[in-house]
Amino acid sequence: MTQTPIDRLARATPPTLSRKVRGLSDRAIAWIFVAPTIFLLLAINIFPLIWTVRLSFTNFAANKPNAEVKWVGLRNYERVLTDEGIWASMTTTAHFLIWTLFFQVVIGFTLAWLINRKFRGNDLLTTLIVLPMMLSPAVVGNFWTFLYQPQIGLVNYVVELFTGTPASSFSMLGPGGLAPWAIVIVDTWMWTPFVMLICLAGLRSIPDYIYEAAEIDRASKWRQFWTITVPMVLPFLMLAVLFRGIENFKMFDMVALLTGGGPGNETLLTSIDLKREAFEKWRTGYSSAYAIILFVTVFGLASIYVKALNKVKER
Amino acid sequence: MSNLSSSWSVTEPSRLSKWVAGVVVVLYTFITLLPLVWIISTGFKSGQDSISYPPKVVFEPSLEGYVNLFTTRTRVAAEEFQKLPPAETWYDQIVRDQGMVIAGPSRFGERFMNSVIIGFGSTALSILLGTLAAYAFSRFKVPLKDDLLFFILSTRMMPPIAVAIPIYLMYRELGLSDTHLGMILLYTAVNISLAVWLLKGFIDEIPREYEEAALIDGYTRFQAFRKVVLPQAATGIASTAIFCLIFAWNEYAFAVLLTSGNAQTAPPFIPTIIGVGGQDWPAVAAGATLFLLPVMIFTILLRKHLLRGITFGAVRK
Amino acid sequence: MTGFLTGLLRLRRGPWEMLATILIALGVVMLMQPFFLWAYTWSFLVTLVGTVMFIVVSHFPE
Repeated sequence: MTQTPIDRLARATPPTLSRKVRGLSDRAIAWIFVAPTIFLLLAINIFPLIWTVRLSFTNFAANKPNAEVKWVGLRNYERVLTDEGIWASMTTTAHFLIWTLFFQVVIGFTLAWLINRKFRGNDLLTTLIVLPMMLSPAVVGNFWTFLYQPQIGLVNYVVELFTGTPASSFSMLGPGGLAPWAIVIVDTWMWTPFVMLICLAGLRSIPDYIYEAAEIDRASKWRQFWTITVPMVLPFLMLAVLFRGIENFKMFDMVALLTGGGPGNETLLTSIDLKREAFEKWRTGYSSAYAIILFVTVFGLASIYVKALNKVKER
Repeated sequence: MSNLSSSWSVTEPSRLSKWVAGVVVVLYTFITLLPLVWIISTGFKSGQDSISYPPKVVFEPSLEGYVNLFTTRTRVAAEEFQKLPPAETWYDQIVRDQGMVIAGPSRFGERFMNSVIIGFGSTALSILLGTLAAYAFSRFKVPLKDDLLFFILSTRMMPPIAVAIPIYLMYRELGLSDTHLGMILLYTAVNISLAVWLLKGFIDEIPREYEEAALIDGYTRFQAFRKVVLPQAATGIASTAIFCLIFAWNEYAFAVLLTSGNAQTAPPFIPTIIGVGGQDWPAVAAGATLFLLPVMIFTILLRKHLLRGITFGAVRK
Repeated sequence: MTGFLTGLLRLRRGPWEMLATILIALGVVMLMQPFFLWAYTWSFLVTLVGTVMFIVVSHFPE
């Protein structure tokens, strides 16, 4: 992690000062302050994680706690990684991931770019636009099933109003291939403000003098956009994309309530698939291996994310 | 900047472009708020109005949704219905108008209270532990600091369903499944990473000189922490607390897997509100409104620190 | 490019982190692509190697 000026200052402070202080030594205080957090995380995150790793090598089933548990080695991993159903859920997740990121980046960046014109009332509008992303994805996802109702829903009505397609002729959540797009729409609606806010911060971090210098060099607005605006906002955009990527890779709540994976398996994202394997089919050992695969992927992406975080922090 | 100089500035957008940008953003705001407006307005529709086509924008407001949200109702046979004494209260009357009688209170109140207890409990605990840890990370040389900070952050990233399997088993063993304590501990474990990262950022911004002056004045480290750092970090702590609260409030995956009756929070409950022939949409909307409104208010209060909260303190604006 | 290679040889953090990042990204792409089953099968190993490498090399000097 990068050194903040404060860290540097800390190292520069004479050690004698801390020694003079009465009471516990700094080292002891540091440990007392950090320990409860670490302990809680060990108990509720790391211990279960190690347990999952252990389970992933067995054929344990949580609904049959008394059945004999057999050590199966890497069998579970082998089966998960050759299972076409799980592979299909990965590609379904990829579809969801790519399109939500695409729309959120395009719309989010455009909005940020427009809001950065600083017209009157832009603060108020920003606050209003941000509202959807703070709300409970489960409750909102559930309500969207109402908006998507083919006979009575608002979405179908609006589509009929603007395109003339009869509202009852299609169903966003029913069969017909629209469901994967229905979840993309809701996610985009919810999370575009996230990308927008981060892009806005990126745009605002560009000092005016760079544009002024470009203007003196007679660079066109178009050129300025591609050679100044985009590269300067890019680290911020990367941060937003990575974060949304990780979140949408794990997406569960909103989609579980919106489609539950259906119709058929059209919107069966990995988390929903995993929930079925673990808590409906009760194949605990098998789904532990599945969980570890998801976990390692997320962990890998998270380490890239932290790197991106630090890059932005340096600005 | 004065008007004269701004009209010459190359970085100041032209009036036309501001105007166009404003119109486009207003339009987007309108579209994006429509679903939220729809939730709130559906809560005040009668069952009939909520499912009429084309969807009703203008309707006669009714409290049917809210009454249905808080009650369970039974249908009685027509001749029985005639014999009943007249409705005593306004909510009785609303239920009678639907041809039913109130059988008792619904579970919504309980579930809502569960959300409040678990939300506030886990927030308090995360802030307590988080402030201590953040202070230590900010001020002291903690061995393996960067690794610990990364470890703390990475716990936030874990897919909830993946962690839920062993936690489900562990809670079953410990008798923590479906208890408030279990959920509070779990949400604290998830929130603490955010709390540590955000609070570390806030505490980093408080000049060390303040504490050092206090130490020289004879305060112990602990007193300096309590009397100098805490008051300075108050705004940061408050906004971090709101972020933790919103997360615990909104969480669904753990809640649906680990709670069923006793400690179930509102998010898994609201989608199960059933009326005659499917979901009772005005009641669902009423529940959603009551549930979402506090978060909307908090978001507006938080707007200055929003960016910080969603990026783990990386972007400070 | 030569800077990258000498960085690898001297066990510098930057280039190794880059390599680990590429491995993780490759693993994620292999995991979610719809074309080859074998790529899906081996994706986990690639991601795992990348992730472990990332943790290890983040302790290399700058």
